[in-house]
Amino acid sequence: MISFDNVTKIYQKDWIALQDVTFFIDKGEFYFINGPTGAGKSTLLKLIYKDEEPDKGTIKIMDQNLRLLKHRDIPKLRRKIGIIFQDFKLLPDRTVEENVAFALEVTDTPPRDMRKRIMEVLTYLRLSHKKFSFPYQLSGGEQQKVSIARAMVHEPYILLADEPTGNLDEKSSQEIIEVLLDINYKGTTVLMATHNLKLAKRVRKPMLCLKDSKLTIERQ
Amino acid sequence: MSLRIGIREGIRTIQRNGSLFFLSLLVISISLFLLSLFGLVTVNLYHFMGKLDEKIEIIAFLEDNADPDGLTENILKIKGINEVIYVSADDALKNLQQELKDTEEVLKVFETNPLPASLRLKLSPAHRNTQGLSDISSKILLLRGIKETIYGGELVDQLKKITGVITAFDLGLLVIITFSVIFVIFQTIKLTIFARSREIEIMKLVGASDSFIAVPFAFEGIIQGCIGGLVAFVLTVVTNRLALSFFSNIYFPQWWFLLAILASGALFGIIGSSIALRRFLR
Repeated sequence: MISFDNVTKIYQKDWIALQDVTFFIDKGEFYFINGPTGAGKSTLLKLIYKDEEPDKGTIKIMDQNLRLLKHRDIPKLRRKIGIIFQDFKLLPDRTVEENVAFALEVTDTPPRDMRKRIMEVLTYLRLSHKKFSFPYQLSGGEQQKVSIARAMVHEPYILLADEPTGNLDEKSSQEIIEVLLDINYKGTTVLMATHNLKLAKRVRKPMLCLKDSKLTIERQ
Repeated sequence: MSLRIGIREGIRTIQRNGSLFFLSLLVISISLFLLSLFGLVTVNLYHFMGKLDEKIEIIAFLEDNADPDGLTENILKIKGINEVIYVSADDALKNLQQELKDTEEVLKVFETNPLPASLRLKLSPAHRNTQGLSDISSKILLLRGIKETIYGGELVDQLKKITGVITAFDLGLLVIITFSVIFVIFQTIKLTIFARSREIEIMKLVGASDSFIAVPFAFEGIIQGCIGGLVAFVLTVVTNRLALSFFSNIYFPQWWFLLAILASGALFGIIGSSIALRRFLR
C-alpha cells in the first residue's frame, strides 16, 4: 500500500529532513509516526500525498511510483488519500455539512450521491445533529471529527493524520484515536504522526520512529 | 471540468466573498477610469494634431487672366497634391469680410476688390513639411498664371517639433499609467486570491483538479474586469459631459472606448488571476 525505498529529502541550505528512509506498510495496517518536532514527520506525510518531492529514492502508493505520476494526475491520487491536520483546516464561513460537501463539490460528485454520502459519514461520526453548525460553534474534538468526515467522505484507501490530537485535551484525543482505530478496523490504512509517545504506546500499534532524519521501526 | 460548473463555482465564490469582491471591484473600476480618462486626453491630442496637420497648405495667388480650371488640372498631376480648391476674388473678399466682421469699414477704403483669386492646395501627409512645401511651391511657380505662393515654411517644422515632443511625452505618460494600472489591478486580484489561500489549500488536499480551482477564479477575474470596465466607462461619459462645459469640442468615440475598456478589464482580470494562481498550482 505504502512503500518507501531509500528515500531522502533535503530542504534548502542542506537541511536533511529524511535520510535513506525505507519501510513498507500493507493494506489495512495502522502505523504511528513518532519523533520530536522537526524530525520529519510532516515531511514523510507530504511525500505520500505528493506535496513534496523526494531528492532520492522511490515512493510507491498503491503500486504507483510517485516519481512517474504526472502533475495532472495528483488530484486522482489525493482522492484516494484522506488527510487530517492538527489545525483541522476547516472553512470558518461554512457549516459542518458544507465543509464536508466541499470535498465532494470540488471533485465534481453528482449532487444526489453527495447528500447520501455526507449523511452516512456524519451519522457514522455522530455529527448529524451538528450539520448546520459553524466550526466556531464546535469543540476541538468535534472540529477534528468534521475534518475526519471530510477526509473520509471520498472513502479513501489511506488516511493520513498529522498530529490530529495536538490541539485536543486528553478526553477528545482518546475519542479521536478511537475513531481512527475504527476507521482502520473497517479496512482503511491509517498513518498517524504524533509526538505524544504516551498516547501511541497505549494503543499498541507499530511505530515509525524518526530521529535525526533516520527511521527505525518499533513493533509493539 | 465543464465551463458550466466553473461559472457556477465562480458565482458561488462571489456570493460567499461579497465584500472582498466589491472592494477589489472598486479598485479595478477606479484604475480603469484613470486609464480611460488619460486615453480620452490622448485621443483628443491626436485628433487635434491631425486637424492641425490638415491645415498645412499652400496658397497660390493667380494672375488676373489665369485659367483656374486648366491650372487645377495641371496642379493635381504634381505628386503630393491631394486636393485643389479654387477661391475666386469675390469669395476671398467675402471670407475676409466675415473674418473682420466689426472692422469691416477698413475695406471701404478700397474702391475695387484688391484681393486676387487663389488656389488652396491640400497636401498629402508625407509632404506636410518644409521640404515638401518648398518643393511643391517651386514646381507650381513655374506654371503660367501663378503670381505668387505662400506657405508656413519653417514655422511648419517648428510646429511639427512641438507636436512631436507633446505626443512623445503623452505616450510616455500613457505607458506609465497603463503599467501602474495593470500593477494595481494585478495586486488587488492577488490579494483577493491570497485571502482565500486556505480554501485553495483545502481544494488541493481533497483532490480538486487545477482547472476546478482555476476556472472560478478566472471567471471572477473576467466579471470583475468587465463590471469595472463598465463603471469606468460610465464615469468617463459623465466626466466628458462635465468637461464639455469647459471645452467646446471633445472627440469621444464612445463605442470604441466601451469596447476597449471592457476588453482591457476582462484581459487584466483573467491574466491577473492566472498569475496569482500560478503560485498555488505549481
